[in-house]
Amino acid sequence: MASFHVNGKLVTPSKNQKLLRFLRDELHLFSVKDGCSEGACGACTVIIEGETVKACVPDTDSLDGKNIITVEGLTDWESQVFTYAYGEAGAVQCGFCIPGMVMCTKALLDKNPNPSDEEIRYALRNNYCRCTGYVKIIAAVKLAAKIMGDGVIPAKRTEDWKMGSSVHRIDVEEKVLGYGKYPDDYVLDGMLQGAVLRSKYPRARVLSIDTSAAKALEGVVAVFTAEDIPGENKVGHLKHDQYSLIPVGGLTHYLGDGIALIAAETAEIAEKARKLIKVEYEVLTPVRNIEEAAAADAPKVFDEEKDNVCSYKHISRGNADEAIKNAKHVISHHFETPWTEHGFLEPECAVAFIDEDEDVFVYSTDQSAHQTLHECRILLGTDKIKVQNALVGGGFGGKEDMTVQHLAAMITYLTRRPVKLKLSRAESLLVHPKRHHFEMDFTMGCDENGKILGVKAKVASDTGAFMSLGGPVLERACTHAAGPYNYQNFDIEGTAYYTNNPPAGAFRGFGVTQTCFATETLLNLMADKVGITPWEIRYINAIRPGQVLPNGQIVDESTGLVETLEAIKEDYDEAVAAGKPVGIGCAMKNAGVGVGIPDTGRVKLIVEDDEKLHIYAGASCIGQGLGTVLVQIVGEETGLAADKIVYERSNTWIALDSGTTSGSRQTLITGEACMRACRELMKELNAGKTLAEVKGQVFYGEYLAKTDPLGADVPNPVSHVAYGYATQMCILDPETGKIEKMVAAHDVGKAVNPISCEGQIEGGVVMSMGFALTERYPIVDCKPVDKFGSLGLFRAHELPEIKAIVIDKPGLKVAGGAIGIGEITSIPTAPAIADAYHRYDGEERYELPLKNTPYERKW
Amino acid sequence: MAAKRQVPYMSALVACNGGCREGKDGQSCSYGCVACSLCVAACPFSAITINENGVAEVDESKCTACGRCVEACPQQVIHLHEAGNFIAVKCSNRDKGVDARKQCDVSCIGCGICEKTCTAAAIHVVENCAVIEEKNCLSCGMCAVKCPRHAIYDLRGVLTPVR
Ligand code: FES
Ligand code: FES
Repeated sequence: MASFHVNGKLVTPSKNQKLLRFLRDELHLFSVKDGCSEGACGACTVIIEGETVKACVPDTDSLDGKNIITVEGLTDWESQVFTYAYGEAGAVQCGFCIPGMVMCTKALLDKNPNPSDEEIRYALRNNYCRCTGYVKIIAAVKLAAKIMGDGVIPAKRTEDWKMGSSVHRIDVEEKVLGYGKYPDDYVLDGMLQGAVLRSKYPRARVLSIDTSAAKALEGVVAVFTAEDIPGENKVGHLKHDQYSLIPVGGLTHYLGDGIALIAAETAEIAEKARKLIKVEYEVLTPVRNIEEAAAADAPKVFDEEKDNVCSYKHISRGNADEAIKNAKHVISHHFETPWTEHGFLEPECAVAFIDEDEDVFVYSTDQSAHQTLHECRILLGTDKIKVQNALVGGGFGGKEDMTVQHLAAMITYLTRRPVKLKLSRAESLLVHPKRHHFEMDFTMGCDENGKILGVKAKVASDTGAFMSLGGPVLERACTHAAGPYNYQNFDIEGTAYYTNNPPAGAFRGFGVTQTCFATETLLNLMADKVGITPWEIRYINAIRPGQVLPNGQIVDESTGLVETLEAIKEDYDEAVAAGKPVGIGCAMKNAGVGVGIPDTGRVKLIVEDDEKLHIYAGASCIGQGLGTVLVQIVGEETGLAADKIVYERSNTWIALDSGTTSGSRQTLITGEACMRACRELMKELNAGKTLAEVKGQVFYGEYLAKTDPLGADVPNPVSHVAYGYATQMCILDPETGKIEKMVAAHDVGKAVNPISCEGQIEGGVVMSMGFALTERYPIVDCKPVDKFGSLGLFRAHELPEIKAIVIDKPGLKVAGGAIGIGEITSIPTAPAIADAYHRYDGEERYELPLKNTPYERKW
Repeated sequence: MAAKRQVPYMSALVACNGGCREGKDGQSCSYGCVACSLCVAACPFSAITINENGVAEVDESKCTACGRCVEACPQQVIHLHEAGNFIAVKCSNRDKGVDARKQCDVSCIGCGICEKTCTAAAIHVVENCAVIEEKNCLSCGMCAVKCPRHAIYDLRGVLTPVR
């Protein structure tokens, strides 16, 4: 047995195992994150003999005599420097990658106290971050190097916790030092490990399930099948079509469908038990794509549906056919965009136990604790459930659905024992809903000056094995396909099909990433036809305050598309003058659910025993920084110092439902509710009361974002309370054909925390550079075939310069004018890049990821 | 090794670890380094020596990736790689597994375990020998740890000994 030093202490593992398992399971060093256990993500990075090593790779037996350092082993000085540097630079979002990044920072600076930018990127290149786009992490390393050299930690940029102030996020320290808890970091006494046996075939009928051998295995506590479900089997966001476990006689819908649920004393036993379950199937022909789903004699994905159409939308205003017929220039094309995987760094995990009220208590990583509660209630048929958000290691839309939470709750409910149910990275890639693959036909007509007269389109999406948010995604794809322009003839028809592929659902951009690629690409081609620049054609058509969008909505004073175009003008002109290939794209994105669906923010402020004001909002912070935003809003509205304000992570028994973290809505909707609650509090404080005197009192704020339903019989329906606008630009290096610089200008109304806002932009841009150039999620016969490391996510050393421009434009009457930024950052990127490549080599590209670029992957 | 140098930088790598010195049944590898020292002579920076296993070895901190050794090598076992990518296959044997196994203690037998293990689709068996596409490689070393033949190395000496 090997012995080695961890953070200076001599240790001997109980058995040979992967170092990661030893550090987490035996030493409880939870800063060492398990993001994949396959060497891809870097979240488990530690330092061995001065070199960074992914802890999931070496066996402990190979480490005899070695010196190992984790984040827990940093000196006080190092801890302070890294916490400050990451906070000041705005480098922390979900935080799951951060301890690994900190290890890379230390290993680099120990060897090279004055690294160049290039050397920093290089030192981070084997670690993925899906949130930040690396820009601010690189800045943090640079800053840490400087401070290490100077020997003193400077004052923070600002300590003024008002709106508009770039304060350090509230969660920097717990994430940098790795003591903040994600669900996987909870270890409870007597905790079982859960596992799910999944379908062997994408489409098959389950004829029988024999769990007897698995149950007989020592250490197996329970094996459940559909029969054991106390409540209803089918859950789902809107439509309840997601089977929790497939019953005997039932159809499987994809390879991720659960057949049996195992609870065992250890993960190894659970794994063994999984192999002992015998299932007989009648294997059936799967529905593999949109074409097969739409065929007249297509096999049905669901027994209970009449065909494979999951959702159909037709949106029409004016007369697009007529407008196109009379247009001087008309362009039509077919477009396709791929499936995309969210690639959040933290795989799905839930921990459940019975609490002192005899309730099932769930620690979850999700985008809405209340949604989790709701779906757990359906499955268990009881109200005796509580859900508490732990830290969430990224979501991007991929954690809106039930994956592990409800099943963990079921195990605990039936066994009365604590349990952890965690997806392996491979399961995560298979199970949670992806970004929809879209096939699109678009026609655009313009007059001789480049003014858009009308757009007509037909789109189809593959929503896979259950609806998830496939209906709303299709709807948003359709409503936003018109683009942020001022014209009145628009017609689009969209159909979302069920197939036996993994499900597709929400993903940053929510359908708009797809249709925007088509519209913006057509607009670029149109500019060439008309003989004006892509910038000019957008400036001509850009929606301006008071004008009417193609959906009929009159836009308000906050509408800042023109400002974003103007903001990039200088860079644009300069690059064009220098003869560089430049591409451009614009976008709009709603903030808030809209289209008549009740969308409510709810915030309670309570002064607790510590005489501090606690913010309770049933709204998940998935890494974007909602907690910091709310604290800043409270600071602004009440004048309280930040150390008097405590943000409580979302829960379901004190905090009221404030809606899902989706649709870029939390800053606006929950932000406004928070302001209203502050006003209630201020009535008391203005009357001379102190915080101590209002202890225990609840100050409640609620905001209903009222909108009109689609097709409402009014001339100018308000589809959404607010829209964000953006222009992004891609400049290529004419020599290498690689991206030299991305410029992203975003109108956010009011940036609550400008540096966080920049972080969102950079992260979104880099994510969609992947969407445009490198990312893939290939599915062969309904089976996703890639692993995490081959998805093609951008890496630190591959980055071009990214310039984020945040534009404040007042006009929105709520939430201090703040419009959500989360999704739009990812929307105009792909068409901008496609346009740049078109100008580079003359090839028009209608499919993502783009072909024939230096970024194309070999193998 | 590289502390004083700006990364990234390229360096020559000898894809042979000299395991054939004990060739069994009189068989020996016809692909590996033959210690002819032509590379040693060709190197203007004295970055190459013949090591204790009887094969050429490059000191990456001295190498400038000028490529003279690559040209000089009659066996074509030297190639340029990104020095920061410290996981490397040190074998060039393209014979079938059964033969490659007899010819050398530490030869790649093309078993494909590395290919199956790799999360990044960065390593593939090409003509019975593992090849790393460095652009894809995440330098985790899982292949090096799993390689039953010890033909894949962590050049830093952390995950595998440097031999
Ligand atoms: S957990 Fe080790 S690299 Fe992902
Ligand atoms: S902050 Fe890096 S993955 Fe979320």
